[in-house]
Amino acid sequence: MNISIRALGLSAFLTLSAGAVSAAECIAPANPGGGWDFTCRQIGKILYTLGEVDSPVQVTNMAGGGGGLAFGHVVNERNTDEDLIVAASSATATRLAQNAFGGLTADQVRFVGAIGADPGVIVVADDSPYQSLNELVDAIKADPGSVAFAGGSAAGGFDHLKVLQVLKEAGFDDIRKIKYIGVDGGADAITQTVGGFTQAMTGDMSEIVGFLKAGEVRALAVLTQDRVPGFEDVPTAKEQGFDVVAVNWRGLYVPKDISDEAFNAWADKLLNVANSSEWKAAMEANGLAPFTMVGDQFQNWVNTVVASVEALSREIGVIQ
Amino acid sequence: MELLSNLALGFSIALSPTTLFLAVIGCFLGTIIGSLPGLGPSNGVAILIPLTFSLGFDATAALVLMTSVYYGAMYGGRISSILLNIPGDEPALMTTLDGYPMAKQGRAGDALVLSGVASFVGAFLATIGLMLLAPVLAQVAYLFGPAEYFALYLLAFSTLGGIASNNQAKAALASCIGLAIAMIGLDNNTGMPRFTFGNLHLMDGVDFLVAIVGLFAVAEVFIFIESHGKGSSIGVKLEKVRIPFRDIKNSFWTMIRASGVGFVAGVLPGAGASLGSFLAYMSEKSLAGPKGGFGTGVPRGVAAPEAGNNAAAGGALVPMLTLGVPGSGTTAVLLALLMTLNITPGPTLFTDRPDVVWGLIASLLIANFVLLAMNVPMVKVFVRVLSVPPAILLPGVTMISFVGIYSLTGSYFDLLLMVGFGVIGYVFRKLDVPTVPIILGILLGKHMEDALRRAMVLSDGDASYLFSSGIAITLWIAAVLGFFAPIFVRRYLRKPAAVSD
Amino acid sequence: MLHSDRVFGLVVILVALAYIASALQIQTSFMSDPVGSKTFPMLVGAVAAICGGTMVFRPGEDAHWPALRTLLSLVLSVIVMVVYAYSLKPLGFLIPTAVTAAILSYQISPRPVFAILTGVGLSVGLFLLFKYALDLGLVPFPKMSAG
Repeated sequence: MNISIRALGLSAFLTLSAGAVSAAECIAPANPGGGWDFTCRQIGKILYTLGEVDSPVQVTNMAGGGGGLAFGHVVNERNTDEDLIVAASSATATRLAQNAFGGLTADQVRFVGAIGADPGVIVVADDSPYQSLNELVDAIKADPGSVAFAGGSAAGGFDHLKVLQVLKEAGFDDIRKIKYIGVDGGADAITQTVGGFTQAMTGDMSEIVGFLKAGEVRALAVLTQDRVPGFEDVPTAKEQGFDVVAVNWRGLYVPKDISDEAFNAWADKLLNVANSSEWKAAMEANGLAPFTMVGDQFQNWVNTVVASVEALSREIGVIQ
Repeated sequence: MELLSNLALGFSIALSPTTLFLAVIGCFLGTIIGSLPGLGPSNGVAILIPLTFSLGFDATAALVLMTSVYYGAMYGGRISSILLNIPGDEPALMTTLDGYPMAKQGRAGDALVLSGVASFVGAFLATIGLMLLAPVLAQVAYLFGPAEYFALYLLAFSTLGGIASNNQAKAALASCIGLAIAMIGLDNNTGMPRFTFGNLHLMDGVDFLVAIVGLFAVAEVFIFIESHGKGSSIGVKLEKVRIPFRDIKNSFWTMIRASGVGFVAGVLPGAGASLGSFLAYMSEKSLAGPKGGFGTGVPRGVAAPEAGNNAAAGGALVPMLTLGVPGSGTTAVLLALLMTLNITPGPTLFTDRPDVVWGLIASLLIANFVLLAMNVPMVKVFVRVLSVPPAILLPGVTMISFVGIYSLTGSYFDLLLMVGFGVIGYVFRKLDVPTVPIILGILLGKHMEDALRRAMVLSDGDASYLFSSGIAITLWIAAVLGFFAPIFVRRYLRKPAAVSD
Repeated sequence: MLHSDRVFGLVVILVALAYIASALQIQTSFMSDPVGSKTFPMLVGAVAAICGGTMVFRPGEDAHWPALRTLLSLVLSVIVMVVYAYSLKPLGFLIPTAVTAAILSYQISPRPVFAILTGVGLSVGLFLLFKYALDLGLVPFPKMSAG
């Protein structure tokens, strides 16, 4: 008991400086340490330093169901909570499109905005014989068993779909033959590739920055419209003849039934975060490319993305 | 000397009155968080991250605070393991096996001081290892593919038979139950759910913290309601707290060996502190043989897992810093902290940001000494927990468990699971079925299956791929030896006993 | 005589068989996967069933079960905990915690006043510890209005 008494004395000190009760809450639908957690903590931190919110944003980690648990929580229990924002990304849209949230659909929340994107990349180890995306694709066409991909998502997830999209674009249809192992995150996927256990890695730019700088991996292609600033020597898949664009946007959704004023207020706040120098520094340090879209425009864009991922997943057999 | 100048740089950053003050606070908070069931190093660090923002700390201050909490929680986990047979978190699991029997013998103070010293040795050696070898050790992760990981997990399971119970079938059954629970959730290799029965709460599987707190803390409350405290550690007349020099001296080499084993386990991403403490305990147990009395409350059985898990905690920082691969839940949180501070761990971190790396190492060293200085005198306070009336202590433990688990997901579902595990834990205790293998099954089962299936995807189903490297073969041999050795040793030792009969 | 280990062994066999049956229902996917998602669970189920069988045929020492009164007290504790789990969110932290802690305390030592004091003390003390020292987002009382 002595222990808790001392802790309380300490707490008096800590709360003095921590300030009032926090009003805004950001749910990161995963354990601490992932992309959603980063989104919540970074946006929460900048909102506070910019003075957009009066008190520090409380970050709640609600892991479960690949984000489905938090989604269900928001839809069923917090549907009118105007102080709630939830971290989202392409993975959220992908899973909604693949009906992985137990029947919940994308139109049950409002997507309020994205303020950055992580470009999709396909990389090989530095000592790999493949010098371009074309060489890699040709090798797979000749012998699908000769190239195994590692990625940070489960089979059928976003990282896997990137590879399938590229190969589909190349006219290779026997997708069952493509080897893919889903490991625990992008860094793990790189380790397996540098170690020579898999021949290529599919992931996000942010996951490979350190390895790219150290010269341990070579990026064969980035899956964006144009080359990414700061990484001008990495060619796009498009210029190599594969018209595939896949970026992992980082953004937020809010409950469905909040007022339009509240929705627009969050959109404006997000826009201010996007334009802040703090966020620009954070993006640069983490390999994110600028990608700002807020409000109704973003909602419409998410709708089209969900529809196209659903069509693709159906076509390649991820969903029936 | 480059190393010395680097260290000097580190200390010049980390050693100021403010950071020292933060280290003390961090160590203290960490120790408390670690000792509370359900709150371990990973959620402890996660809980405190917002605090660093609201207090407006710079990168160094935030890092010092968080690493102190991290190491503090690793130290703290042992306290409730020893005193109440309730591991505060998963790395402290193995400490219950000999720590609690020692407390029942009235030697709680000795066990706590000894484990504090063992924690220090483990953490200190691991920090030295991190300092000297990190860039070299980073390469080790490149040598471990699916086949090697599968063999490593197999090694852990093959030695399980020799754990607490007299009945091999019961130990094997317990690991099967753990493995079966580990299968629940989304299957990484197909993206399809298994055994979730359409329940979203089960999609990510069963959290091992829920299982630990249920099987140990809640079950302990049931046992207590039944027995009214007979045969437990509470109320046992305690020996005076002193420093058990003799035990420390006798387990010196145990600590060194356990630190080595733990450190290596920590360096491998995906193995982590729990595997470190487990392998450290099992290897010391087989070294000591049946005469060593492991499981009955011997000092070496306390020193080994504590040195092992603290060394693993240090080792886990190697892949985290050099590759950006979090080797454990806690390093995942520290990784998040670094990224929020706009520091990206990876192969270039040591050259790009020496201030961060060496500042971190210096703050680890500082935290370590602060913890040693804090923990040994505080043992007197800790043991007083045992003189709290059980009618206050046990409801308190239950409530803390509920809040700890509730803080994971904020859902009633995990709480119900926890109560369910509590009932199972109670029944199993009655039936003499060991519960430690269940936890290990849950912790490692999924990794083991994933490793096997990835290996088979890569090799098109060719089983010889599992033996395709020297590392894999070595681990297989160790696994086979670990499985059969206890059987032969037992037979060999029984003979002389029969003669003297 | 019913031997606990034998009964338990039978239960294990039944559960293991149900587990294997459930494993057979697992959806397979479009991916090529030599091991498949069913193999490992079925293997685990089979080994568990064998262990159950061993316990039926070679039971260890029989367990000692508590008397009926104690058993009832245990069942009550489980029910209280389940109710507590459900009430934490709608009713806030303080009241359910005080009630649950008091009942558990009474189960261990049947002194009503002491139990009530323990319940209230733990509830308030832990709330302060978690809320302010560890900064956990606990809600003290039921929320009066939504949003």
